[in-house]
Amino acid sequence: MEKRNELEEIMFPSDGSGVKPYEWMIQPTRQREWIDDKGIFLWLAFFFSEIGAGLYFVSLFYEYKAGLILGWLVTLILGGVIHVLYLGMPLRAWRMLMKPNTSELSRGIWIIGVFAALGFLQIVTAGSFNIVFNCIMGILCLLIISHGFATMNVIRALPAWSSTMVLPLSVISGVWIGHQILQFMFAVSGSAALASGMEVWAEVFFFVYFLCILLYVWGTWHSNEIGKESIKSLITGEYSKISLIGVLGLGIVLPLILTLIMWGGNTNGFLIFLRLASVIAGDLAMRYVIMKSAVYTPLI
Amino acid sequence: MPRWGMVIDVKRCIACWGCTIACKEEHFLPPGVFFNRVLIGETGKFPTSSKLIYPVLCNHCTDAACVEACPTGATYIREDGIVVVDDDKCVGCRACLVSCPYQQRTYYDQKVKDREYFPGQGKTEMELLGEKLYPLKVGTVIKCNFCSERVDEGLRKGLTPGQDEEATPACVNACPVGARVFGDLNDPDSEISRLIMEKKGKQLRKEFGTEPAVYYID
Ligand code: SF4
Ligand code: SF4
Repeated sequence: MEKRNELEEIMFPSDGSGVKPYEWMIQPTRQREWIDDKGIFLWLAFFFSEIGAGLYFVSLFYEYKAGLILGWLVTLILGGVIHVLYLGMPLRAWRMLMKPNTSELSRGIWIIGVFAALGFLQIVTAGSFNIVFNCIMGILCLLIISHGFATMNVIRALPAWSSTMVLPLSVISGVWIGHQILQFMFAVSGSAALASGMEVWAEVFFFVYFLCILLYVWGTWHSNEIGKESIKSLITGEYSKISLIGVLGLGIVLPLILTLIMWGGNTNGFLIFLRLASVIAGDLAMRYVIMKSAVYTPLI
Repeated sequence: MPRWGMVIDVKRCIACWGCTIACKEEHFLPPGVFFNRVLIGETGKFPTSSKLIYPVLCNHCTDAACVEACPTGATYIREDGIVVVDDDKCVGCRACLVSCPYQQRTYYDQKVKDREYFPGQGKTEMELLGEKLYPLKVGTVIKCNFCSERVDEGLRKGLTPGQDEEATPACVNACPVGARVFGDLNDPDSEISRLIMEKKGKQLRKEFGTEPAVYYID
C-alpha cells in the first residue's frame, strides 16, 4: 500500500505537476518555480535587497552612516547570499554577469556589483556625502529596490507580473520600509527629534504605497482574463487569507491606525517599532501573494 | 543554412502518446518529465462542444523568451534555429523556465533524478544505462532539443533530417499516423514549407510573440 502511494505521488503529485501529459497547461496554470519549494529563497532575496537598498537610499538624505552600513550589508549579505543559494549551481553565479544586453537578471547582478563597490567606497571614505556621489548611489538604490520586481515585470507570459504598476509598487515599498527602519534606528539611538521629523514623510510614503497597491489590483484586473484570474485568487481564492490578514491587515490597516496615532510627529519608539514590524510583515505578504498568484495562459 | 521546424497535423493525431513515449525513451527522461505532451481539451458548450487534441513540445522560437531571459547565455539559438541549453553554463536560475509562455522547460534537481519508475525497487538497468548514455546535470534546466544529436549525426553521415529516419527527431519517427513532419523552413520546396503554405499552418498562441517554429495544420 505504501509503495502504491509513493508511485501515485510520483505519477500524480499533489502539486499538480505530474504525469498527466494531457492536462498540462489547458487551464490557467500557476507559476511555481519562483515561489514554491526552494523558490521561497527568491522571495526572501528580492525582499532583503529591496529593504536594504531602501534603507541605504533614505539614509543618504539624512547622511546617516549607520543606516548606509546596515543597508549595504542587508542588500549584499542577506539579499545577495540568499539569491545565490537559490541557484541550482551556486558556484557558477558569476556567469550571470554574461548577458546584460538582454537579461534583466543579468543587469540586476551588474547593478548590485557596482552598488557593492561604490557603497563600500562611500562608507569608508570621509566626506563621502557629496552631492554627485549621493545622486549616483541614490539611482543605484532605486534600481536595486526595483530589481526583483523588474525581473518579474519583463516576463510577458505572466500578466500579474507584467502589470505596469509592479515597478512603482516595488519602488515605493522599498523606500517606505527603508524609511521605517531608519526612523526606528533614530528612535532607539536617542535622536527622537529626527524620528519625529521623519513622520511627515511616513504619512506620504504610506499613502503612496496604499495607492500603488490599489492601482496594481485595478490594473491587473483590467489587463486581461488571465490577470483577472490572478486577482481573483488574491481576493476570493486560495490566497485571500494572506491578502486579508497580511497585505490588508498588517500592511495597510494597522500602519494606518499607528500613523493616525502619531499624526503630526507625535512619535514614540514603541509605536514606530510596531509599525515597522507590521509593514515588514505586510510587504512580505504582498510580495508572496503577487509571486504566488501569477498564472500562465492556457495553450489550447 | 537550414531552419529546422515541425508541422503537426491535429486532424491526423489520434492521441496515442507514441511521441510522448518515444521522446522519453530517446532522452531517458525520469518519471514526471516530458519534452513532448499531447494536450486534450474541449471547446464550445454542449451539445456543440468539440474535442481539441494538441501535441506540444518546445517551439524552438525565433524570438524565444527563454533565450532573452537567460542571464548566462546557456540557453541559445543555434544557427539552424534549434534552441538548446548548454548545461556547462547553466546556473539553474530558472529565468528561462518562468519566461517560457509555453512552459516547455523542466528544472532537473536531485529529487527528479532520484525518481524511480518502480518506487522502492531501485533503478532498472535501463534507467541506469540512461544516466550513462544521456547524462543530465543536476541543478540545470532541461528541454526538448529537436533531437539535435540525431540531426547533427545524420547530417554528418550525409542524411536528410525529416526524410531519413536516422536524422529525424524520435517523436516524428514514432508517430504511427504521420501527423508530424520535420524539415527545413528555409527551403521553399521542403514538405514542411509546402504543408504550411497549402494548409495555412498556424503557430500555437501566436499572440505570445515568440515566433514558434512548430506549426499546426488541420
Ligand atoms: S517554447 Fe519556450 S522553451 Fe521553447 S524556444 Fe519557445 S520560449 Fe524557449
Ligand atoms: S536556468 Fe540555466 S538556461 Fe535557464 S536562464 Fe538560468 S542559466 Fe539560463
